[in-house]
Amino acid sequence: MINSILRYTIIFIVLILLQVLFFNNIQFSGYVNPYVYIMLILLLPVEISPWILLFISFFTGLTVDFFSGTAGMHAGATVAAGFVRPYILRYISPHDGYEPGATPSMQIYGFRWFLTYTVLIVIVHHLALFYLEVFRFADFFRTLFRVLLSSVFSVTFILLAENYRKGR
Amino acid sequence: MRNLLNFLARYNNLILFLLFEGIALYLVVTGNNYHNSRVIRGVRGITTVIEEKISNTKRYLNLHEINTNLAMENVTLRNSIERIIKKENQLFFSVSDSIRQQQYIYTTGKIVNNSVNKQKNFFTLSKGKKQGVNIDMAVVSPEGVAGIIVGSSDNFSVGMSLLNIDFRLSCRMKSRGYFGSLTWDGKDYRYAVLNEIPQHVTVNVGDTIETTSFSAIFPEGIMVGTVSDFEKTGGDFYKIRILLSTDFKKLNYISIIGNLKKTEQQDLEKMYQ
Repeated sequence: MINSILRYTIIFIVLILLQVLFFNNIQFSGYVNPYVYIMLILLLPVEISPWILLFISFFTGLTVDFFSGTAGMHAGATVAAGFVRPYILRYISPHDGYEPGATPSMQIYGFRWFLTYTVLIVIVHHLALFYLEVFRFADFFRTLFRVLLSSVFSVTFILLAENYRKGR
Repeated sequence: MRNLLNFLARYNNLILFLLFEGIALYLVVTGNNYHNSRVIRGVRGITTVIEEKISNTKRYLNLHEINTNLAMENVTLRNSIERIIKKENQLFFSVSDSIRQQQYIYTTGKIVNNSVNKQKNFFTLSKGKKQGVNIDMAVVSPEGVAGIIVGSSDNFSVGMSLLNIDFRLSCRMKSRGYFGSLTWDGKDYRYAVLNEIPQHVTVNVGDTIETTSFSAIFPEGIMVGTVSDFEKTGGDFYKIRILLSTDFKKLNYISIIGNLKKTEQQDLEKMYQ
């Protein structure tokens, strides 16, 4: 228990640093802003209670907000992602269900499962985030294009990171 | 009561979700407004230390380009000093009037945080009240206009970037003197839109656009950009796309300009309005 809390704290710190120091500074063309810190929400244990998940989501989003100089946008988006996660996990659950104490990982459930899982949650997060940022429905399709393009990059980076994690 | 408890137990996650979203939404609405940029400023106080470290690294990588820019700026300044000295020698003035020669006061500063990819972009500067930087001072880069200070703490200040859909700037065409209002349409960080230039004026691609002193914030004649293309809209005015001369993506060393006679100008104008 203590061990896994420590592990997730380290993941949290690494992801936030990566996001703030590196990914927030990638700005090609204004259309691509990868947000990889959402990976923390992806990696939490399957059986975590929804309300703890929501708390962690809110806290993570707020931390990123602090460092990005935006108030509440990341918090809102991450809470949305945390809220839909249990439903998505139930929707894509493997035939024989999840083992007790399992964490979502590419190694156990395979590449295709993890890809579906990542894409769904990243899309929810990015939709919420980008529309919260623009805060109006003018230029609806331009924002949608930004969402999709950024999602592609976020998903790619998350898969790379997960692959690296698997290799160790 | 029992029903209420059952209800809460059943939908507790939904309620928690809505609560968190409510808080987040509240933060978004109050925190990202132009008038409430103080909230951001408060939050930023915590993280500016780290941002300064990041910006130090970036600055190091950009040194070559910055040196070139500084050298060019030096040449321009030396030229203007030359001109001013010649002009000053021919004038009589009252000895007691110490700010007679000077309307604008310049200080340098550097950007420690900046963005170009939002709809409302702000930047953070490394100088604040203790260094004499206050609200409504102009921020210019060596290439041209950059923004306006909207808030300052002791050692930092936050400026509204020209790349902000709330930003308005009075500009004129250098060649013909017609003035209009410059805004950013939120699409491309290299372009802004100039409105209110009447259609009987001849506009050419490449014409220089510079600031006017109408707002008493910017000195007149500061470069804004050049005409990139223009179209006639339904009214009597052009809609002119301006290629901004400042590259906001590598904004780094800037000058902050205060107008020593701003209150005088504004008070006088107020009397007749």
